[in-house]
Formats: sequence, C-alpha cells, structure tokens
Amino acid sequence: MWQIVGQEAAVGLLERSLKGGKLSHAYLFVGPKHVGKLTLALNLAQALNCEGDEKPCSTCPQCLRIAGGKHADVRVIGRDGKAEIGIDQIREMGHSANLRPFEGRHRVFIIDGAEHLSHEAANSLLKTLEEPPPQVQLVLLAVNERLLLPTVLSRCQKLTLRPLPIPVIEHYLIGRWSVAPQRAKILARLSSGCPGWAAAALTDEHLLSERAVRLGALIHLASVGWEERFAYAAQLANQFHRDRESVGEVLSLWIGWWHDLLLIKGGCGDFITNLEQEAILYHEAEVYSLRGIKEFIEGLQQAMEQLDQNANPRLVLEVLMLNMPFRTFRNL
Amino acid sequence: MRLSCLQENLSKGLGIVGRAVATRSTLPITNNVLLATDQGRLKLTATNLEIAISCWLGAKVEEEGAITIPARLLTDFVNSLPNERIDMTLSPRTRTMELKCPRFEGRINGVNADEFPPIPTIGEGVAARIDPEALRLAIAQVVFAAATEETRPVLTGVHSEFDGDRLTLAAADGFRLAVHKAPLAKPVVERVEVIIPARALIELQRLLGDKEEPVELTINPNRSQVLFRLKDAEMVSQLIQGTFPNYTQLIPQSYVTRAVVSLAEFSKATRTAAIFAREGSAIVRLQIMPGGELAPGRIVLSARAEEVGDNVGEVDATVEGEEAKIAFNSKYLADVLGVLHEERVALETTSPSSPGVIRPVGVENYIHVVMPMFVQW
Repeated sequence: MWQIVGQEAAVGLLERSLKGGKLSHAYLFVGPKHVGKLTLALNLAQALNCEGDEKPCSTCPQCLRIAGGKHADVRVIGRDGKAEIGIDQIREMGHSANLRPFEGRHRVFIIDGAEHLSHEAANSLLKTLEEPPPQVQLVLLAVNERLLLPTVLSRCQKLTLRPLPIPVIEHYLIGRWSVAPQRAKILARLSSGCPGWAAAALTDEHLLSERAVRLGALIHLASVGWEERFAYAAQLANQFHRDRESVGEVLSLWIGWWHDLLLIKGGCGDFITNLEQEAILYHEAEVYSLRGIKEFIEGLQQAMEQLDQNANPRLVLEVLMLNMPFRTFRNL
Repeated sequence: MRLSCLQENLSKGLGIVGRAVATRSTLPITNNVLLATDQGRLKLTATNLEIAISCWLGAKVEEEGAITIPARLLTDFVNSLPNERIDMTLSPRTRTMELKCPRFEGRINGVNADEFPPIPTIGEGVAARIDPEALRLAIAQVVFAAATEETRPVLTGVHSEFDGDRLTLAAADGFRLAVHKAPLAKPVVERVEVIIPARALIELQRLLGDKEEPVELTINPNRSQVLFRLKDAEMVSQLIQGTFPNYTQLIPQSYVTRAVVSLAEFSKATRTAAIFAREGSAIVRLQIMPGGELAPGRIVLSARAEEVGDNVGEVDATVEGEEAKIAFNSKYLADVLGVLHEERVALETTSPSSPGVIRPVGVENYIHVVMPMFVQW
C-alpha cells in the first residue's frame, strides 16, 4: 500500500510504469514543503525492492528496513545542516551507484532538496543522472524547480505534487492519527494542504505555539504607533540576516491572516485558514476597509518579492510597516 | 549473550574486520561491528556496504546472542586492556555490553543486531579455489594499474575472468594495462567474468597476509557479489557493474625492437632517472641500441628537468631488431618493475608513439602495456 496521502495522479503514473517496467531512470518530484515528496520517494524505493505481491506491501523485511531508514541500498542525500549539498556527497553517490545492490534489487538515491545542490555538485551529478547504471533509480526532490540547472531538469521526468484539499487532510488526521475532529479541522486548515506539516504539528507543540506568537505580534502591531512598528521591522531585518527562511515564513503567515480577513469581508468566512482565531478575525474584519486589506496584501507580496531580489531588508520591512493600515480604534 | 575470550585474539580479530568499518557513512550503524556467537566461536563482522569482512575467533560461549557495538570505541578499549581473559556479558534489556578482565572493566552501549545490514551469505554460485601465493602475486601485479578516479567506474575495478583452471586478472587506467594469468587449484564449472573493485582486492591482499591455506572463492548466481573464504575469515565484495573494455586488442601482437635486460639494473636506472624526471614532467626517455661486433646492446635512460639538470644512465641489454626510441612516465615504469620478481625482463617497442610492452622473461603469465609519452627527440 502506498503510504502517501492523496497524490493519486503521481501514484497512478508510478504504479503503471512499475507494472509495465517502464520507470524513468530519474524522477523529479516538485511540490511545497511537507506535501509528501520524501514519503512518495521512499514508497517508490519500497515498491522497487518489495518482496510482497502487492508492491509496496509495507510489511516485508525490505519495506520495513526502508521505512526505518536502515536499508543499505536506499540513500537519502540531503544538506545535513549545511548550506548546500556538496560535490563530495554526489561523488560518493556516483561511486556506490556503480556497485551492485547490497541487499535489495535496486539502489535508490533520493536527493532531498535538489535546489540546494552546489553548482559543482549538480554538474558532477549530470553523468549519473543521464545514464544511471542498471538497477539504479534516482529521485530528486525540490520545492522550487526554477532553482535547478536546466541540464538537471531536462534529465528527469517531472511529477508535480500539489497541496491536498483540506477535507482530505482532515480525514487523514482522524483516520491515521486518531485526532479529535475539532482539532483535526483546525490543523487541516493550517496545514495549507500539506499533510506532513499537520503530522509534524501533532507531535511538535512548538510549531503551533510559534505560529501563535507570530500572529500575536501581527495583531498587536496593527494598533501601535510608528515607533514600535519600526522597532519590529528592525528586529525582523536582523533576523533576516541570520535566517532568511524564517522571515519568509512570518510574511506568508501574515498574508494568510490578511487573506482570511479578505474572505470574511467578502462573506466567505467558511474558508478561512486560522480557524482557531475565528472570533478575533471577525472582529478585526470589521475594522478595516476591503480596499485597505487588498492593498496591504499587495504590499506584503511586493515585500516578499523584493526580499527575494536582495533589496535592503530593513528598508523593505519599514515600507511595509508604513503601509500597514492602522486599526481605527473602537470600543471592544 | 555471555562469553569469554583472550584479549589478544579479540584485538587481532577487531584489527582484521576494522578494515571494513565505514568511516563516514549515510548508514550510521555501519560504524559498528557486529559481535555474534556462532557454533562455539565468536564471530566479528563489519561492512562499509562495499566490502564486508567477518572473522571467527575462539571463545568460551556460555550463552548465545548478538549485538553491534561502535567499532572505534570497542577496538581502542580492547587494545588498551592487558593480555588476559576478557569476560563479555550482554544485558539484553539495556543493550549494554560489559567487558571485564582482571582489574579493568568497561560497559559499552550497543545497537540491536537486527538493525545491521544483512551480510550476504553466498551458498551456491560459481566456486573456485586458489593457492594464496598465486593470488597474492596476481593481485600485486595488476591492482596498481587500476584507475583511482571515478570518471570511468569500470576502470576502478579489476577485470577477473574465471575460465577452466585459469584466473585472468586485468586492470587498466587508460595509460597502462596489466594482465596476469593465475592457475586455479579447483577449476570453475563455467566461464565467468566479473569486475572486482580494486579497493576490495587491496583489502583481500592485506587479509591474506602470509596465510598458507587455499582460498575458496564464490561468485553468487546473479553476479553481484564475490566471496573469499579464508581459514578464519571471510570477505564479501560487491561487484562493479558495467562492461570492461576489451583489452586483448590493446596488447600489441608484434614488435620491431625487443630488449632483454636485467630487472635489477633496469629498476635501478629507472629510479635514478626518476630523480630528475620528478622535477620536470616525469618523463624518462629510453634509447634502445642494438649491439655491434664488439659492444653489447644497451638501453640508455635519460631524464631532464628544465632549469634543474639532467642525467643519463645505461643498462646492458640483449637487443633484437632495430634501434628504437621511446619515452615513458617514470612512475608507470617504476610501478611495473617494482612488482616483478624474475631475473630479467623484456621491453618490446614498435614506434615512439605506440605502446611499449614489458614482460618478465621465463614466465608467460604476465604482460604489462604502457602508453608512451610524446616528446621531441
């Protein structure tokens, strides 16, 4: 049984290719974080090595060893906390690719975060990627395929994994993790269609509490003066120097929040993401004008784009603060 | 698991399997060594997923069991113990191995044995037996010619052809080719060709040491692994996939000039020339002069390093054919002369731009082909 949630199109294609013996030598799975790229890649590795009748069976020793990360022929190559995937890792992979499988029938190499391949590493991968030895399957995982070299892209068959519908995730949380329906509903909305995030949030309280803290800061900012807003912009700019990604997360969180306001304002309150803050959202929605909300969302998008283009983060964030609508005070 | 054995044996065993312990690996458990009781003996196993080495040592087993333990830690600890009896006890619940000998004791946390990659056991397949002396010589004479870079993966291995009662090992790196034919003590039932990683053969060489018992050799039915069984140890190596180039057509079938020289003198002259060659572009020039009525034939070896100096040396030779000139990389020449043991060697050349052939005189089992270097004479 395929462990992955949803993704019927991708699974169907892989299944048919497996049955017909027509698997591509290299796949590229593209999809947002936590959507299930690695799960699908490991499932494929299981299917290739499975000893059961219905592949992947998830019960034979081969499948279990792969699931436990103990299989000698299935390797996940990642950044391991470094900035990029280095050439040594790829060379090492090339070396073992030429040896026959150790315990299974196929060697599977999964490159997790192919956009993080260093330039040299990507180039040294090309030869193996174009013509892997028999019994070798390569799977590249990427969030943003535009960051891959065209030479790498053209050597892989691309499968796009899309975020899942919210009810599917809700169902998955209840079915697989026995989550209480109300909580499942909240998590499913927050997951933006990525089951991996929802599953992680179940075990990692930190994930949710951090989100709450960030949202709290946002709500607070709307009602304070310039001084405090600029102080926050400076703090965020500092954070940006250390960890770009986390600032991106904060801004997308904001977009989500303002998007919810927009939905409520437009009368589509059933589709909001931040379900657990419903009351506050409804209250806030009354304060802003539709136009103000729309303009600020545009401002946020522009800021994210500018940060990607290496504009001065502090300036970008200060401009953002200037554009953030003030809450017109009313009695709560 | 409870047993006792001598520190000396354990230390030696760990030294043997330690060669196969992975140094950096994506599979952390391969940094461990597997200890298991096996028919009244202690079996140690380590693997880096390319080769796996197992060895058995005498032990007094009181209770069966198996565990994996970090190899470095265990080896360093055991090596520091006095040469006395070591009692080993595994507490299954905490997976802690306790080692005790008079006045010292230690406890090491292990990992369950079933997490260790399954070590291939090769029961059936193509089997052969070979005398260790013959195998040692064969490996020594070809393995240095294998490529060390990964650009052409098949060349990092040694092509091994089992045919009847003959084993032919061949290695090439694009600049030189070494082919050795060794006799098998027990012939194979069918002809098999495999490519064994050169690194594995180097380890095997070390494992063979000065052992005198014949080596049992088995290639598994789907041609993915080869097993070497020694008296108290076993090594399994993964095989390289791919097709080895057809090297027989690279061996020149004829020659224009053939010079037979004393191996000792030729090596000495090569080493001398290499002193200058290494300062420059590593080129040794050889001039082969046929003998006349009065003077014997000779090979003149010269090397030159720009702005440093040059040298000329001479070796007496029995020359057949015309005068010839050829230049080689001094390292390649020194490498092949270093693995030969016969008294005399023959150097055969056709032209300054065609490969030179070096054969030991008196035996027919070895041939070495070296590509020449292009130089202005």
